[in-house]
Amino acid sequence: MSASRHSASGSAASRRRWAVIGLTGPAYLWLAFTVLLPLSAMLYFSFLTVAPIGARVAEPTLGNYLDYFRKGFYLTLTGRSLWLGVWVTVLCLLLGFPAALALAKYVKGRWREALFLLVVLPFWSNALVRTFSWTMVLRSDGMLDNALQAVFPGLPHLDIMFTFTAVVIGLVHSFLPYMILTCYISLQAIDDSLLEAARSLGAAGPTVFRRIVLPLSMPGILAGTILIFVPVIGSFMEPRILGGRGGFMLGNVIEDQFTVVFNWPLGAALSFILLAIVLLILAAFYPLLRRNLQGLA
Amino acid sequence: MTRLWGTALRVYLAVTLAFLYLPIAVMVLMAFNQSPLYKLPMVWDTVWFEKLVDNDRLLTAAAHSIVLALANTAVATALGTMAAFAFARYQFRGKTLLQILLFPPITIPWLIIGTSMLVLFFWIGIGRGLHSLLLGHVALSIPYVVVVVGARLKTFGPVYEEAAATLGATPWQRFWRISAPLMAPGVIAAALFAFAVSFDQFVISYFLAPPGWTTLPVEIYSSIRKGFTPEINAISSIIIFVSMGLMLVFARLYRFGGER
Amino acid sequence: MRSNSDWRGSTRRNFARYLVLGGLALAAGSMGAAGAASAKDLHVLNWQGYGTDEAWATKLFEERTGCKVVHDYFNSEEEMLTKLRTNPGTYDVVLINSAFTQAAAKEQLIQAIDTSKLTNWKDLNPKLRDSTYLNTGGKTYGLSWVWGVTSFAYNTDDIKTKPESVQALWDPAYAGKVGWRDDPVEAVAFGAIATGQDPNNPADLDKVKQKLLALKPQLKTFWSSEDEWNKHLQGGDFEIATYWSGSAARSKKAFKLPVEFVIPKEGAIGWFDGLSIAANAPNLDCALKFIDFMVSPEFYVKWDTTVGAPASANDKANAALPADAFNRVVMGQPGLQERLFYMAPLTDDQRKQFTELWESVKTELGK
Repeated sequence: MSASRHSASGSAASRRRWAVIGLTGPAYLWLAFTVLLPLSAMLYFSFLTVAPIGARVAEPTLGNYLDYFRKGFYLTLTGRSLWLGVWVTVLCLLLGFPAALALAKYVKGRWREALFLLVVLPFWSNALVRTFSWTMVLRSDGMLDNALQAVFPGLPHLDIMFTFTAVVIGLVHSFLPYMILTCYISLQAIDDSLLEAARSLGAAGPTVFRRIVLPLSMPGILAGTILIFVPVIGSFMEPRILGGRGGFMLGNVIEDQFTVVFNWPLGAALSFILLAIVLLILAAFYPLLRRNLQGLA
Repeated sequence: MTRLWGTALRVYLAVTLAFLYLPIAVMVLMAFNQSPLYKLPMVWDTVWFEKLVDNDRLLTAAAHSIVLALANTAVATALGTMAAFAFARYQFRGKTLLQILLFPPITIPWLIIGTSMLVLFFWIGIGRGLHSLLLGHVALSIPYVVVVVGARLKTFGPVYEEAAATLGATPWQRFWRISAPLMAPGVIAAALFAFAVSFDQFVISYFLAPPGWTTLPVEIYSSIRKGFTPEINAISSIIIFVSMGLMLVFARLYRFGGER
Repeated sequence: MRSNSDWRGSTRRNFARYLVLGGLALAAGSMGAAGAASAKDLHVLNWQGYGTDEAWATKLFEERTGCKVVHDYFNSEEEMLTKLRTNPGTYDVVLINSAFTQAAAKEQLIQAIDTSKLTNWKDLNPKLRDSTYLNTGGKTYGLSWVWGVTSFAYNTDDIKTKPESVQALWDPAYAGKVGWRDDPVEAVAFGAIATGQDPNNPADLDKVKQKLLALKPQLKTFWSSEDEWNKHLQGGDFEIATYWSGSAARSKKAFKLPVEFVIPKEGAIGWFDGLSIAANAPNLDCALKFIDFMVSPEFYVKWDTTVGAPASANDKANAALPADAFNRVVMGQPGLQERLFYMAPLTDDQRKQFTELWESVKTELGK
């Protein structure tokens, strides 16, 4: 093993290449076979008039993609889904980061592990049951309404059920743990001695936060943002249950093409458009990300 | 000043936890409510727990979910951590492409992925079954693991490993004695996510499970039609309490947050 | 204090431990699952809680014939078709709504039924039994099983006088208190009936769209299953909503909800479900016996009286119900059949058109 230090750079490079292949190979082979390959089939379908199953004759067409721009309501729905994504992600960030900070820096010893696990636990409850429990809390004459009435009698009845607000509350609740955890694992890695050194050099609290804590916790914030924003814009269950009349999102339309009508090509096209939008947003923010993460590697 | 901040933040953390547990508390409460339609005011009764004991279908489904989630966690965490490590510590051509390829599983609705998996699996002849289920679950969990472990590795940077290298440590030693302990909280968080992804996974399980073999989420979602009774609340409550117990035991025995 | 090296060891041990545990558990689980299947199994594909999976019925059937009934479920007709397409040779009996039977037969997903083997065939109501929806090319592809009406129901505690017109759903008196089923074909059908058109082939779709858009101040929320409907009514989310006849009977009887079902003067949507046999069914013999059992008065009367069911396609079975049963009183009322528009098969293109219309309406309603 020690011979590696003395061998020519070519051999070290090839050893590195094997390391990379060995490390990424299994995961990507798995992904390729189970996700990427089937999705390629779907991508192919999205350019056909109908799914070529059961002796149907399919013709190539760009119609599914063009319809997205031709029929106004798809764009409206996309806007609505993106808006939902932004609201939920920003709220999760504002609410989750301080909690993560508290957990990482202001809680000591065994408590920290216990609380960390407690944050994760709601994940393991079934999403449908959780969402349904929210309906019991948020509906008119529900638990929240009754609690408020008890404290301020004579208040008009709560009317947030079946609205955009209810959907946001439900989704923030579901996805908040992601943000707390990803920020936590970044924050927790920041060496306390670094912060002490900064303070001893005369930096005030806010400065320490802005110039040390925040940049170093960026990877966590970023991870949380991605893990929240992306699934939220494609979500359909919470919007359906909590949003009532206003709960129709892009995710629902995609679902319809498989469960209500046999139109896989359209469903596939809409999904890939969604993917394209996500990647475009990422690409737009890339220069900003690069600058922020540069100091770390 | 710091002390004031500290207390304020701790109080805030408590409030956040209360928010996170509000629906859980409601869920547990409703498990003890007599009304099958969740009618308030509450009438205390343990009838749903009693019915649960006889509900073989639901109990078997829960057992299946747990087994599947454990298998999924083991495999996905292992595969994902390796890939995350490669991304964080090596530069190579095609790295960006590989990172982009992590997005389809989390962006594209699972319904599409499930349907296309089913079509592909039948076409190549492996069909539905436990193997297909595991293939599907792990594939969906891998991106989460990679992102979470990656964030952890990014924050730490390769500085410790490089220091160890200059002191003569081999790559193997560097990995197991430096990288692994530093990654540990990230890996644990990723494993917990992977478990959650699988345990609460409805769509893929619905498509790929062999007929007659269900998981808990499939049972719950399917019972929307038949009648969503508080038996569901009962079993969810049991799962929450058992998990809580397990987690607290785990926290007592292992310290993974570092010494501080 | 534990050092990093202790932790490294335990991480590795845990990893290995979980890997082995997981593998063993999975192996055990798969062995358990494999042991469950056997040759005499009858695979049935249906909605959950829709008669074929009644515990007492499957038990009785198994005792008599030795065929063990194993169920798989779907949540929409389209899903049922997808399951048939992607699981060839898996299912025996499939429940297919008559509007879909022709399409399934054309796609060769189901096989012709040998009606000479069915003892209850002669007692079935000819209008449904011999319908062209279920019979093509001289062959029978679906055995008419149950039928019902899609209309609307209301909360008798909140609404004191019974509405007689479908326009009640658009009545400003009920603004913000109306529930609606989230289904494109049903929505278009209601819009058509409310604008005096044929729900199966509305001449002026634009008029239908405008009528549906007029629901904006009326609708509180959508529902898509009987259970959701019950919970919404119970919680006071809506007071009047579209609904199915059989489900209304169940809500009233089994859940004791103050529900009254209305078949308005303009007419309502009729539908009937058929039991079909999948192509390449592994257990044809058991399948024929099962569907025969399902249309028998013996099964039907117990099903309706204990749980609540849609009306039977077997006249003899209907006649055997108690005199005050919903299915005899409401469904047997004179002049009903003339007011019903039975759901006809639709082409893929028609379905796409209706779906798009409904989606654009829903988008507007959500603003």
